[in-house]
Amino acid sequence: MSVTVNFPASLSHLAGQSVVVRESVSNVGQLIQALERLAPGMAKELDDPLYNIAINEEILLHSVDSRPVNDGDVVEIIPSIAGG
Amino acid sequence: MGIRERVARLVGEMPRDAQFPSQGATLFVDLERRETITAYTPLGVTRTLLGGRGANMYYLYRLLDESLSPLDPDIPMIFGSGLLTGLVPSAARGNVTSWSPESGVLLDCNAGDYFPSFLRMNGFDHVVLYGKAPAWTMIMIREGVVTFEDGAPYAGMDNIDMRDAIARDTGGTWARNLAMVNITRAGENGVLTSGVMAGPKAIYARGGPGAKMGALGLKAIVTIAQTKEFPTAQPYKPYNRVIAQKLLATSVVKNALSVHGTPFLYKPSRLLGAMGTKNNQETTWTEALDAGHIDQYRPGMEGCFRCPVNCRPLNDLHKATPDRYDKGDGPEYVTLGKFGPNLGIDRIESVIRLNNICNDLGLDTASAGSALAWAFELYQRGIITTADTGGLELVWGDAATIERLLFMMAAREGFGAVLADSTRAVERGHYPPEAMKYRIAVKGLGQSDPHDARILKAFALGLAVATRGMDHLRNRATLEINARINDNPAFKEELYGGAVSAEPTSYVNKERAVRACENIFAVGDSVGMCRFTTKLFNSPSLPGLEEFRNQLANVTGLQFTEAELDQCGLNVMGVERLINHRLGVRRKDDTLPDRWFDEPNPAGPYKGERIDRGEFDAMLSRFYEISRLTSEGVPQESWRKELAGALGA
Repeated sequence: MSVTVNFPASLSHLAGQSVVVRESVSNVGQLIQALERLAPGMAKELDDPLYNIAINEEILLHSVDSRPVNDGDVVEIIPSIAGG
Repeated sequence: MGIRERVARLVGEMPRDAQFPSQGATLFVDLERRETITAYTPLGVTRTLLGGRGANMYYLYRLLDESLSPLDPDIPMIFGSGLLTGLVPSAARGNVTSWSPESGVLLDCNAGDYFPSFLRMNGFDHVVLYGKAPAWTMIMIREGVVTFEDGAPYAGMDNIDMRDAIARDTGGTWARNLAMVNITRAGENGVLTSGVMAGPKAIYARGGPGAKMGALGLKAIVTIAQTKEFPTAQPYKPYNRVIAQKLLATSVVKNALSVHGTPFLYKPSRLLGAMGTKNNQETTWTEALDAGHIDQYRPGMEGCFRCPVNCRPLNDLHKATPDRYDKGDGPEYVTLGKFGPNLGIDRIESVIRLNNICNDLGLDTASAGSALAWAFELYQRGIITTADTGGLELVWGDAATIERLLFMMAAREGFGAVLADSTRAVERGHYPPEAMKYRIAVKGLGQSDPHDARILKAFALGLAVATRGMDHLRNRATLEINARINDNPAFKEELYGGAVSAEPTSYVNKERAVRACENIFAVGDSVGMCRFTTKLFNSPSLPGLEEFRNQLANVTGLQFTEAELDQCGLNVMGVERLINHRLGVRRKDDTLPDRWFDEPNPAGPYKGERIDRGEFDAMLSRFYEISRLTSEGVPQESWRKELAGALGA
C-alpha cells in the first residue's frame, strides 16, 4: 500500500515535504498514527483546528478519523484560515 | 434640528473630564466653521457599548438625521479607537462610522496600522466630523493640539504620493511618530467604492467612507506625537505578556499568519467548490492562485502598532524595471479572491499588481471587485454592450482592461463612472432593472469574502444578517469548516454556547454560531482587538472575553464579567439595528442574493447545494429569537428601552 501525503510549509514537522506512507492503513486516524511514527509530534500538531485534510482533493469537514484511505490516495494537509 | 444643535445638545449631556483611567476625549470638529469641542463619552455608554465601534454607534445614533442623505455634511463621520487600542498586543484597531453612500445602510469599518493608536497618543478616543470645509482641508493633531491646515497642495494625490508628501512636509516618521488617514482622488471624486486609507494598504474600506470624507472636504487627518505611556488603573504590562504568549502559542498565528499572511483560505474554498468565480456563476478556480504561489513574491512581513504577529505580507514582482505598482503590500485573501477567480484572472502576478493599484487609488478591493464582476457578467449576458462601456470589451481574465477600469473608476471617467456607482448602478439608471438579478450584494453592499456560501449555512446566515451588509468580518463562523471542531461536539457546544450541527450544509442551530461570533467580534472591535487574533474567527484558543475583561480591569478599572461583555457585544449589534431601522432596513433585507437561493452550486463535492428559502427563513427566525429581536429584526421593546436609556435617547 502506498499513500502520498503532502504537507504545507506552515507545519513544523515535514514542512513543505511530500512523503509516501507504505504501512497498511485503512482510515485517516490510522494514517495519522503512521505519520506520528515517521515524525514524532506530528499527531499532536495535526490535532489542531487550523489544519484540514483532503483526500484526492476532497476536503474533509467532519468525521475525519473514520474516513477510508485507499492504496494510491493522495492526502493533503491544508491550513484553513480566513482573512480580511 | 441641524447638526450643530444636535452636537450642542449631545455635548451638553457629556462629561467634561475622563471617566476612567486611559479614557481619551471625543473631539467634535465643525469643518465648515473650523471649530472644535471636546467632551468625554459617558460612563453609562461605555458600560453598555464599550468604546471604538460600540461608542461610535452612540454618536451616530444621537446625531443621525435620517431625513437627509448620506453625503450631506450634516451627517457625521466618526472615527473611534477601542478601549485597549495602543496598549495591548494586537489591539491596534479603530472604526469609522457613518451612513453609507454606497449601501444606504450603516457604514462601519475597521482598520489598524498606526492611526487608531496614535490618535489615542494624542489624547483622543473619538473624532466626530461634520460640516463641509469651504476648501480642501487637512486636520493636524500635533501632541494633542488640533489645527486646520490647507489641504489644497495634496488635492489630486493618491496614496503613495500623499504619504511621501506628508512625511516630507511634516518631518515625521511613519510608524514612529506619524500616522494618517487620508482619501485619494477616488474619495475626492465621490467614488462609492473608495475607502479611507490608514497606511500603505490598511484601509477603512467598506461602504464608501472615502466618498463620505471627500464630501466633507477633508483630505486627511494627520497625527504627530511621540508614543507615550497611558495612565492606567493598575499595571497592565504583565498581563500583556500573557496575551502575547497566547497569541504566539496559537498555531494559526505562529505557523500561518506571521509567516504567510491570510491567503490560505483560497485553497480550501476552491476544493470545496465554494470559491466565488466570475461573479459566483462558478465556484472553483485554478490552483495557480494557491497561497504557496505568492511565496516567491513576498520579501517580508510588516505589522500594526505593537502587534507581535506581523501578518501583512509585502510583495515584489521582481521586475527588472519596476514601475510603482510592481511592489507593494498584500494581497490579503479578500483581494486574492475578488481580483482572481471572481474576475477570471488566473495569474498571481496580475492579482498582485491590481492589488497594488487599488492600494494607491484608495479603492476597497471587495466593493471594486464586486462592481467589476457584476459589470463583466452583464456584458457576458448582453445586458450591457460596448455601447455602454465606451467601446471596452469586458472579457473575463483581461487584467489589462481591469487595470484600466480601476483608473477610470477612480477618476469617474467614461464607464468608470458607472463602476464608481457600485451597487447603485441600477438605481442611478446605468443598468436596466434585470441587472439586479446578477448583483451579489446584501443591503446594498457587495460581498467582501469571495467565499460562495451556498454550502456553509452559518456563513450564509452571517452574510445575511450583518448590519453593514454582505461582509464576513462581522460574524463569520470560520470554524464551521474545521473538521477537528466539528468532530468534537462537546467542545463545539462550549464554544458557541449550545449545540451546533457538525454538518456544514445543515441549518440546525447554525444561528448559535453566528450569534456567538457576532457578539465577540463586536466586543473585539470595541476594545480595538484585531479580528484575526480574536477568539472564534480563526481559532478557538486566541484571546477572547476572559482576556478582554482582565485587561479592561487593569487598564480602565472598569469591572465586567464575561457575560456582561457578551451583552455589550449584543448591545452593539442592537444599536446598529436600531440605526438601520431608521434607515428603512427590515427583515426582508436580511437575505442573500437570488443566485444562492435559485441556482445550485455548480462544482465540487457539494455540487447541487443551494440555500433553501424555507429553511433559511426558519433559521433567520431562530436567529432573531436568540438575539432578542422582533420579527422585523429590531431589538424587542424591553431591550429597546434599556438601550434608549443608555443612549440618552
